[in-house]
Amino acid sequence: MPTDSLFAIAPIISGYLQLSGTAAAVADTIAYAVAVSILIVAFDYIFGWVERKTIAKIQKRHGPTFAGKYGILQNMADFVKLLSKEHTIPKRADKLLFLTTIPLMLSLSIFLIFLLPFSPTLLETDIGLGLLVIFVLLSFMPLIIFANGFGSGNKFSAISAQRSVIMLLSYEIPLIFVIAAVGVLANGYSISGIIGAQSQWWFVVLMPIGFVVFFVVMLAEMERPPFDIREADNELIAGWLTDVSAPYYTLALFLDYSRMFLGSLLISIIFFGGWSGPFLPPVVWLLLKTFIISFFIMIIRATTVRMRIDRLLRFGWTWLLPLSLLNLILTYLLFIG
Amino acid sequence: MTTRINIGPVHPSTHGVLRLVADIDGDTVVNLEPHIGFLHRGVEKLVETRMYMQSPPYMEKLDYVAPMSYDEAYVATVEQAMGVEVKERAMWVRTALLELQRIASHLLWLGTMANDVGQFFTLFMWCFKDRDLVLRLLEEASGARMFYVNMRIGGLIRDLPPGFEDRAREALDYIEKRVKEYEDFLEKNPLFMERMKGVGVMDRDMAISLGVTGPVLRGSGVSYDVRKDIPYYVYDKLNFEAQVRSEGDCFARYKVRMLELRESIKLVRNALSKMPAGDALGMQVRLILPSAKNREVRVSRELPRGECMMYMVADPQRPYRLSIRSPTFINLAALGEISKGCKTADIFAILGSLDVVMGDADR
Repeated sequence: MPTDSLFAIAPIISGYLQLSGTAAAVADTIAYAVAVSILIVAFDYIFGWVERKTIAKIQKRHGPTFAGKYGILQNMADFVKLLSKEHTIPKRADKLLFLTTIPLMLSLSIFLIFLLPFSPTLLETDIGLGLLVIFVLLSFMPLIIFANGFGSGNKFSAISAQRSVIMLLSYEIPLIFVIAAVGVLANGYSISGIIGAQSQWWFVVLMPIGFVVFFVVMLAEMERPPFDIREADNELIAGWLTDVSAPYYTLALFLDYSRMFLGSLLISIIFFGGWSGPFLPPVVWLLLKTFIISFFIMIIRATTVRMRIDRLLRFGWTWLLPLSLLNLILTYLLFIG
Repeated sequence: MTTRINIGPVHPSTHGVLRLVADIDGDTVVNLEPHIGFLHRGVEKLVETRMYMQSPPYMEKLDYVAPMSYDEAYVATVEQAMGVEVKERAMWVRTALLELQRIASHLLWLGTMANDVGQFFTLFMWCFKDRDLVLRLLEEASGARMFYVNMRIGGLIRDLPPGFEDRAREALDYIEKRVKEYEDFLEKNPLFMERMKGVGVMDRDMAISLGVTGPVLRGSGVSYDVRKDIPYYVYDKLNFEAQVRSEGDCFARYKVRMLELRESIKLVRNALSKMPAGDALGMQVRLILPSAKNREVRVSRELPRGECMMYMVADPQRPYRLSIRSPTFINLAALGEISKGCKTADIFAILGSLDVVMGDADR
């Protein structure tokens, strides 16, 4: 399955259209892009609604009920409202940074989702070092947030930007160690290889410590509570999004859910066997697992309190780092050495 | 190098219109100065221009989280100036209602404080829902949900309605169960304990010299509760303890209020069961004849937020001067002192643990 070609595209529609060569590749790429884009938008939209409803249920509220059946159209209404609002750029802001960073982050997270396979056949590409590429690109996110925070010329955003870098320091190294352990277990970093290696046991069983570290790090990476330290609304108003006005804020919300989708996808692929599962088609299995993980992340959001940035740093260096190292050593000793 | 950040008056967690000017060095607070006065309405002056019993509505708007407590403190001041005795049953009813008000106020505090440390509105919603049960009881007793104005000279505007006791007991049983749940919800979360323990420590001497009162003072190990030390109404006939914790940090202040919630529930139950029959109605407003026999009076009350002292110089018709020592005003002054050296995020944990209501601070 794993190939090192960057353009190993599954024949999605070229078979039906009886195309070959470059035309087939282009047609399949476009078909794949459209399919995954629809998937991302649908996931973001549905999760926007599910999150509102879930948290409302936990909080003994009703959540949105007015627009559509069970308020399913509420997010659409919000979307239209936000887009119709005025777009302001603060005077002090660095225009270039302020205007480019959020679209850049959004496209980066969507690009990363494109790098992930949804089923053995539904994949854009399967790079040999796939997982590494993904995490290298993912580690740019906090830096882009840093640029945005300083670019908006607001003190709250600037504090948020500083926190972003501190967070990067606290979880990036444990993350790399967990990825290394995954590489050791799967004998490579190709994503379909990782899923293939889980045909017997899921990695969550083989390295539970690694899973815990990875889950915590992904929560921080996705800015979900208890690690939503960057946009801590009780302290920093909205953190790096403080000065962002409506249309860009829509993008930021979209970004938020895309990142959650990405994080849940990564967790389900790396630790829960990805698309493997009986009876149902692989895509359904993968999305189901992703959905359950996202749901769990929502429940965490509704029930925990926010961690403090210095505590996160200490937590990262005194717990996450040794645990991830331990995980790497144990994995090596138990399964390889 | 320090950065000066200006928090508020429009900010998600400044409890209304409080402005904090903080100098931070990295993430450490070097200096913090609360700026108040955005909700100043000149109530003390306003009262001088009104007849005595026209003022309670203004008093209630001072502390909109526990309006009845303020109302009662003012009416008690007027009663003392008039030299009027409160009717026996009215004393019991007032005690029960004041404690119900304390429960409502503490429940609101619990929700907002959890919000301040980053709890995404869950506890906030739960607490508001439970507070509503208490508000419903208070509505039954007074006719209004939030601004009651049910205190009259010598008694109340009306007696408790029939069946009040049963309904109150039912609600209190439920709230008692819920309080336990909330406590577990927060205290079994290590993140919450981390945010509260050892944060914003105010030791005993500091608390006394800053003049803080109420749960903030008792959280610093000083056993001073007006209900216990200068008992009014029937507090000396009821069995309760002033809750004291010695640590002086945010967690101690939180814990004191949680224990007080339970004590208040006990107090209401106690007061309801011991309540004598009789007449609780106060005097008709137009019949009050102010006498200058007892011209200067000072009345001290334990409000949910701390000790409220009302000093009144009485004149016929209207007060010559009314001065209010409001609990939030003094407690808020401690914020700058105790947040020095803490982290930026801790400012809000401390602010939440002080339980400020800006209407009360600004008057």
